[in-house]
Amino acid sequence: MLELRNVWIKYGKTVAVRKLNLTVNKGDFVTILGANGAGKSSTLNAISGLVKFKDLRGEIDYKGEKISGLKPGAIAARGLIQIPEGRKLFPLMTVRENLEMGAYLRKDRKQIAASMEKVMELFPLLREKLSAKARELSGGQQQMVAIGRGLMAEPELLMLDEPSFGLSPLLRQQLAEKIKEVSSEGETIILVEQNARLGLMLAKYG
Amino acid sequence: MPPAGIWIDGLVQSCIYMTMAFGMVLVFSILGILNWTHGQFYMLGGFVVYYAVTAAGIPFPLSLLISGAVVGGLGMLVEKVVIERLTSPGYGILSVTAATNALIFFFEGAAGMGFGLMNKGMATVLPGVLDMGSFGVSYQKIAVIVFTLIIMVAMYIVLNLTKVGKAIRATSQEPDAASLYGVSVKWVRVIIMGIGCALAAMAGGVIGIVQSVNPFMGRIPMIMSLLAVVIGGLGSLTGAIVGGIMLGLLNSVIAYSISYYSEVALFMLVIILLLIRPQGLFGAAPK
Ligand SMILES: Nc1ncnc2c1ncn2[C@@H]1O[C@H](COP(=O)(O)OP(=O)(O)OP(=O)(O)O)[C@@H](O)[C@H]1O
Ligand SMILES: [Mg+2]
Repeated sequence: MLELRNVWIKYGKTVAVRKLNLTVNKGDFVTILGANGAGKSSTLNAISGLVKFKDLRGEIDYKGEKISGLKPGAIAARGLIQIPEGRKLFPLMTVRENLEMGAYLRKDRKQIAASMEKVMELFPLLREKLSAKARELSGGQQQMVAIGRGLMAEPELLMLDEPSFGLSPLLRQQLAEKIKEVSSEGETIILVEQNARLGLMLAKYG
Repeated sequence: MPPAGIWIDGLVQSCIYMTMAFGMVLVFSILGILNWTHGQFYMLGGFVVYYAVTAAGIPFPLSLLISGAVVGGLGMLVEKVVIERLTSPGYGILSVTAATNALIFFFEGAAGMGFGLMNKGMATVLPGVLDMGSFGVSYQKIAVIVFTLIIMVAMYIVLNLTKVGKAIRATSQEPDAASLYGVSVKWVRVIIMGIGCALAAMAGGVIGIVQSVNPFMGRIPMIMSLLAVVIGGLGSLTGAIVGGIMLGLLNSVIAYSISYYSEVALFMLVIILLLIRPQGLFGAAPK
C-alpha cells in the first residue's frame, strides 16, 4: 500500500534519513524504533508532505501512485494521516474545535458527527471536556484529543509519532490499549517510538 | 474630568485604531510580518467609500462593504505578488519590510495622481444631534461607533463560527498541524491579508463619516494602531482591541488637558508602559 524507495532527507548538511526502504501493507502494524535524532519524525513528515521538496530524494508511493511532492493537504485527502510528535494541538481552540479540524477535508456532516461519536466512545473522558480549551487539559487528555483528531480524518493509514511521550507508565499502558483497539478494527498503523520507552508498547504488539 | 464630548471624540478615534490594529494583528499572526502599508489600505478604503457615495450614489453601508471587497482584493494581490515571495525561506525580514514601506509611497503617489491632493469630504451623511441632556452627540459619531461594532461582531463570527475562521485560528496556533489536516497555509495567508486590508479599508471608510479623505490620511492611524498593537501585546487580538480603545481615549483626553504637548505626553506614556510591561498588556512574557 505504502512504499518508500531509496529515500534520503537532508536539511542543508544534516542528513536525517539515509537510503530508507520501507513497505507497509494494508492492515499492517509497523513500529519504527530509533534513538533521539535518528530521523523518525523526518520520515513521517516526508510521507505527510511536510518535508520541503528540495530536502527530499527518492520515491514515496501510495497505492501505486507517487505522493512525494504533493502538498500535505492532498496527502491527507488520500487518507494518510499523521498524529504529530508533541501532539501539536491547537492550544486556544476547544477540544470540539480541535476534533472538528481533524475532519477539515470532509463534507458530510452526518458522517462527521458519527466519527465524533466514535471518538467519544473510544475516549469517554473527552465528552465532558468538549468545551475546554486544549491547553487546559492534562498531558494524557491532550494525547487523547490528538489521536481523536487524527481519527476524525477517517485515516486509511495512521501515523503516530511518539504518542507515549511525557505520559506516566499507567497512562502509557491505557494508551497502548486504545491504540490496539484502533488497530484491531483493521486500521493500518505506523508507530514511531524511542528505544527507551519501547518496553510496554512492544510487549503488546511487537 | 474632561467633558463627555471629549470622551466621545476619543471613542470615535478608538474605533478606528481598534479596527486597524485588529487587522494588523491578524496579518501578523499568520504571515509573521508587520504590513507597513496598512495605513494606505485605510486611505484607499476612504476614497472608495467617498466615490461610491458621492459619485455613484451608493448607500453608505453598501459602499463600506464595497471598499472592504475592493481593497481586500488588492491586499490579496499584494500578498500573492509581493509578500509571498519575499517571506519565503532565504529572504530576511528586511526585504519584505522594505517592500511594504515602498508600497506606502506607491499608493500615496498613485492616490495623489488619481484623486488629487485636496481634502475631500462627503456631504453630511447623517445630520442631527442626539440630545443627552447636558451634552449632545452627533448622529455621525454614533454611526462611526455603531458601524465599528458591527464590523467587530462580524469578525468575531467569521473567526469563531465559520470553517474559514477555524482554519485561520488553527493555522496561527499550529501551522504544521493545520496543514496535516488539509488546510492550505498559502491560501490562509492570502485570505488573511484580504481580511486585514478589508478591515483597514472599512476603518478608512467609516472615518469618512466625520472626516475628509486625502492621500496621506493613513499615516497617523498607522502609527497609532501600531502603538495599539504593541501596547496590547503583539499577536493578541484582545490586546489590539484594548490597546486601540485606550489610545483613542488617551489621545483625546490628553489633548484636551494639555493641548500643546499632548503628543509628547501620549508617547511618553506609551514608553513608560512598555518599560513596565515590555510584552504589552496581553502579550506572553518572553521565555
Ligand atoms: N526542519 C528541520 N530543519 C533542519 N534540521 C532538522 C529539521 N527537522 C529535523 N532536523 C534534524 O534532522 C535530524 C533528525 O531529526 P528527527 O526529528 O527526524 O529525528 P527523530 O528520530 O524524530 O528524533 P526524536 O526521537 O528526538 O523525535 C536531527 O539531527 C534534527 O536536528
Ligand atoms: Mg521525532
